[in-house]
Amino acid sequence: MSDDIKIGIYLCEGCGIAEAVNMDELEQAVANQYQVAKCQRHAAFCSDEGRAVIEKDVKDGEVNRVLVAACSHRVMTDRFNFDGAATVRANLREQVAWTQPPQDEDTQAFAKDNVLMGIAQARTCDLPEPHENVVKSEKILVVGGGISGLTAALEAARAGHEVTLVEKTDQLGGWTRKWSKLIPSRPPYRGLIDNPIEDIIKAVEENDKITVMLNTLVSKTSGEPGEFSVTLSQGGNETEDVFGSIVVATGWRMPDDMTPYEKYGLGKIGNVISGVDFEEVLKNGLEHEGKKLNTIAIIIPCESEAMPYTSGVADRIAIKQAIQVMDADPSAMVYVLHDNLRAHGQAEELYREAQEKGVVFMKAMVKSASEGPELVIDDLLLGREATLTGLDAVVVQTGMMPNSTNPDLPMAEKGNEFLCDDVNPRVPITINGQPAGDGDEVKAEAAGDGEEASAVTPDCDPENPPLPGGPILNLQYRQGPHIPILYNGFIDSHYICFPYETRRTGIYVCGAVRKPMTTAEAKEDAAGAVLKAKQAINLVKESRATHPRVGDLSYPHFGLDICTKCRRCTVECPFGAIDENEEGYPKLNPSRCRRCGTCMGACPVRTISFKNYSPNMVAEMIEAVEQPDPFDEKPRIMVFACENDAYPALDMAGINRREINKYMRFIPVRCLGSVTLMWVSHALEKGYDGVMLMGCKSGDDYQCHFVKGSAIAKERIGKVEETLRNLMLEPERVSFEEVSIADSKRVVELLDQFGEQIKGIGLNPFKGF
Amino acid sequence: MKFTYYPGCSSEATGRHLDESTRAVFPELGIEVEDIEDWNCCGASVGHIGGGPLPQLALNARNLANAKKRGNEHVFTSCAACYLNTHRNNLAIRDNEKKRQAAAEILKAGGEEPYEGDLKVHHAMEVLVNFVGMDKVKERVTNPLKGLKVAGWVGCQTVRPFAETDDGGHYDTYEDPHFLDDITEACGAEAVDYKPKTNCCGGSVAVMKPEKTLHLMKLLLEEAEKAGADVISTPCPLCQTNLEMYQEAINKKYGTNFNIPVVFPQQLMAVAFGMDPVKDAALHRNTIRAEKLEKMAKK
Amino acid sequence: MTAVPTPSRTYDLSFARWVRENVEGGDKLNMCMQCGMCSGSCPNGQEMDNGPRKLFMMVRAGLKDEVLSSSTLWECTSCYRCYVRCPRGIPVTTIVQHLAALAAKEGYAPKNKVENYFFSKAFWWSAESFGKTDERLVTMKYFFSFGFGEGIRKALDNLKIALGMIKAGRMHIGLPHTIKNKSQLKAMIAKAKELEQKG
Repeated sequence: MSDDIKIGIYLCEGCGIAEAVNMDELEQAVANQYQVAKCQRHAAFCSDEGRAVIEKDVKDGEVNRVLVAACSHRVMTDRFNFDGAATVRANLREQVAWTQPPQDEDTQAFAKDNVLMGIAQARTCDLPEPHENVVKSEKILVVGGGISGLTAALEAARAGHEVTLVEKTDQLGGWTRKWSKLIPSRPPYRGLIDNPIEDIIKAVEENDKITVMLNTLVSKTSGEPGEFSVTLSQGGNETEDVFGSIVVATGWRMPDDMTPYEKYGLGKIGNVISGVDFEEVLKNGLEHEGKKLNTIAIIIPCESEAMPYTSGVADRIAIKQAIQVMDADPSAMVYVLHDNLRAHGQAEELYREAQEKGVVFMKAMVKSASEGPELVIDDLLLGREATLTGLDAVVVQTGMMPNSTNPDLPMAEKGNEFLCDDVNPRVPITINGQPAGDGDEVKAEAAGDGEEASAVTPDCDPENPPLPGGPILNLQYRQGPHIPILYNGFIDSHYICFPYETRRTGIYVCGAVRKPMTTAEAKEDAAGAVLKAKQAINLVKESRATHPRVGDLSYPHFGLDICTKCRRCTVECPFGAIDENEEGYPKLNPSRCRRCGTCMGACPVRTISFKNYSPNMVAEMIEAVEQPDPFDEKPRIMVFACENDAYPALDMAGINRREINKYMRFIPVRCLGSVTLMWVSHALEKGYDGVMLMGCKSGDDYQCHFVKGSAIAKERIGKVEETLRNLMLEPERVSFEEVSIADSKRVVELLDQFGEQIKGIGLNPFKGF
Repeated sequence: MKFTYYPGCSSEATGRHLDESTRAVFPELGIEVEDIEDWNCCGASVGHIGGGPLPQLALNARNLANAKKRGNEHVFTSCAACYLNTHRNNLAIRDNEKKRQAAAEILKAGGEEPYEGDLKVHHAMEVLVNFVGMDKVKERVTNPLKGLKVAGWVGCQTVRPFAETDDGGHYDTYEDPHFLDDITEACGAEAVDYKPKTNCCGGSVAVMKPEKTLHLMKLLLEEAEKAGADVISTPCPLCQTNLEMYQEAINKKYGTNFNIPVVFPQQLMAVAFGMDPVKDAALHRNTIRAEKLEKMAKK
Repeated sequence: MTAVPTPSRTYDLSFARWVRENVEGGDKLNMCMQCGMCSGSCPNGQEMDNGPRKLFMMVRAGLKDEVLSSSTLWECTSCYRCYVRCPRGIPVTTIVQHLAALAAKEGYAPKNKVENYFFSKAFWWSAESFGKTDERLVTMKYFFSFGFGEGIRKALDNLKIALGMIKAGRMHIGLPHTIKNKSQLKAMIAKAKELEQKG
């Protein structure tokens, strides 16, 4: 096979490359490399004329691997895409021409190394072949019959899909049935609107494409996008069906623990009612227990006192209800007591409306409540304590608890540890190289080669999970029956970039189970989730990846012949894509796979690889860089840069013409989760003076596009110290940095700082061996 | 162009040099000045307390009705408080039905015709900005004030709350007005960067309780000194008087040694136009004499 | 004008609603969001017992007596910085000034021996008597509002300034300047006062 490899190198001279680099010298240095069939130069390969040059070579069979040495691989992807030949890129523009002094010895070396790495990559990378796939159903399952579920069902039907809508109670509409009026969602964002829930329910019931199943729970779900096998239980009556994708809209419930609200008198003192019950009073024209209310205090509890979080929903509902009172009786006196009033976005208009109508907003902490009702408050704006007397009623806004699990069901027997699969890296604390604390476990599971310590396991207590109840979908996955939550019980949904995604591919989430939201927001959310559900079916039909590597055809291959059944891949996969077969070997569900390569980075025997991304490929690229003579005192530092944020930030540094440290060499990686520690040790053995991992932010506010790839990498790298000591190397030679896409200035500084740090340590003693 | 002019009470006392220099300079720029016949006090910033809101309206309605008789469309005044009151009450009469009726009744009691708020009221500075223009000022300069460093101190009520023109829009900004520096530079002097350009001197509170507001004026003087100013230029008669009058008290209280002349932009213009330093620029009326400016004046 | 209501309990809104209806600019008072831009911008804030922000909250809290005896009303220099900066377009200066007028009318000011009140009265006396402000007489009348001895002391304190002004021709000696048609002005002011009483 390798005899057939014919690499064509296309050295572009445009965009300032030829001004910065001696192209003749570069061509001489790379044209005669092993398996290089052709090396051509052009003023602009991205032009029609330049592209035709490459196309002709591929068509004539002169080359079957294309290496375009020009701009970053992140741009011109459509231009440099040739049928029948795997195409790789060497970055001479953003990384060299735009960030290095022109016609300099080190600039020349930089350019040469980038092309050499490209040759190594071209040699070891093949065209991906799509995996086998049969989509069995394009039906969409919607779980939950509240405003989110109803809207999702209607949107999915409008988009041409058959829908089954399951609802656990005996009627549709959920909480929204209770609401009197709703917050406006359109300009001018003033004036409350009528509750449309009856019309929406009617539309769902009349829709031919929607099958409504009341009193129904999902008792079992297996398979993958395109072929989810779901068992539905309607009053003990089980039926099976196949769905293309699933939308979870299970909504919210009142807090399981209402005792924090007793402080405000809720449930203890007469005429103290919850915000939810107050809706009924508003429907009845302010009449409560036979008395017309006029003077009302509405309390928005602060987060530390009631719920651990606050979202602004209670605030907006308080404003809405206050307006309703003033509309019903302009002589009313309404006090909204808040710590911080959150009137997000357009709700500012609602706040103004309430002010205009004479609602009094008071930044005040309620100290106690007594019969009357009377409230002793600490008025933070007047800076004094006061008593609110003469109140007809006190309304307490309560929190929203997500139904990420079903509290009516018993706890699942196994797999609860994956309910809260923590995205926070737990870097072991080491003292003089010896692990402190839970070191026993680390040692016991240490792999034979001493490079990796243990699988990065979820740290959620399986006996005492953070949410009560049983699973919503009861997934038959290796990683348990739950859809993982992030914190405060809400389903993990990549809040920043991809809000409707869950960590189970093909299953999308919307409404208050994702985050607290109002009716209008839930409707918008439902439409978004349905679009994702539809997109998933369409992509899976073509064996392509869903978010974030949308359209990718490559997928991981498992060399089971040397697999040790260590289960790291099945445990660490952020998306639960890998199950285990009866013999305990990993079994990939390719439609669930997001192609991040976290399994590849986890595998201690490195038998997981993609056609165009593999441990071997990167190892070859590491070796391709020429190490300068030790006497030149020129360090080389390998940077594994995540393609999602770190590499774009580096490109941006190039666009901004910031000088990048000339001793750095960069290899883009799909996710830091795919980085195997072998690459780190390999680089150090080959004489690199330092290694840096540059990826996305981890933690509760993670930005990792693969949710926990960055956290896993951080945890793995925390265990690399021992490996380095075995090599008699300083642990400071390895660095881990989290950057965002906007950090184009900071990345340059980080590289310089690390360069200085390496200089301080001195050159790698392995250099030259 | 003919403008009806409202000199205001200070024109006959502490602000005589403002009045004199205004009357000297404006005709040079093509603005004919015609006084309101038998004008009265505007009520300043305390009239509403001493008299009440409607009696204060009465003062201004009388002035406006008398101004109307002049037959000019535009009225201007160079005093900040006069401008604020006349402008505000003019707008109130124009836009507020209740106020218009009250004004009509009040005027009737004085045997006057009702006034509808149709005059346009301007500050002298706005007249310079919008009706004259800096180019014309520059054109008229025959004696450029080369080397004179001027701190432009706009103060409060010249731009606040009404830096607006009568046709909507604003003749300058509230926070960082430029007109004063533009006038300085049109006169050939150098406008230094003066940070507290819209700071308050204490206004009438400075008159009644100087000890409470000396720190405000101290800051104004300090910053002018820091900026290297030879003189401070201000369009407001009360600002000018306060800052000039209290320098000795400030020096006594804070152990400082301020002796910075405070002049009006009209005085600068009069000198730059080569006019008489006494008759036109009225420089002899400054109690802290602007010696550098006086030296520049054509004798 | 209806009588100013006295709230029966804290946070009773009757006073706030009266202010909204009857004080110039008060109709915007509802819109205050307590950001504090006004108090933070005030050049004389350190002399006030409550900044305008707090004063407005006190109006809402129905603290009528505290509001109308607040020194805030009398320390305002009318610089209008709060007015132009208020993000909610509340004419802060106007409201403070008119609350001061209200306090004066309701008899809160003399009780508190406030300088601004004396000064305002002296000023108005001149404006009403002569149609013009005679700064000299206003100042003297103001000085002597504090009593004869205090008046002499204050006058002597300012003697040097006065002499300087006289020398520069900015203070005249002799009869005050007056308008010609004093009787007309008198009739108009009488009418205005009558209208104001009617409300």
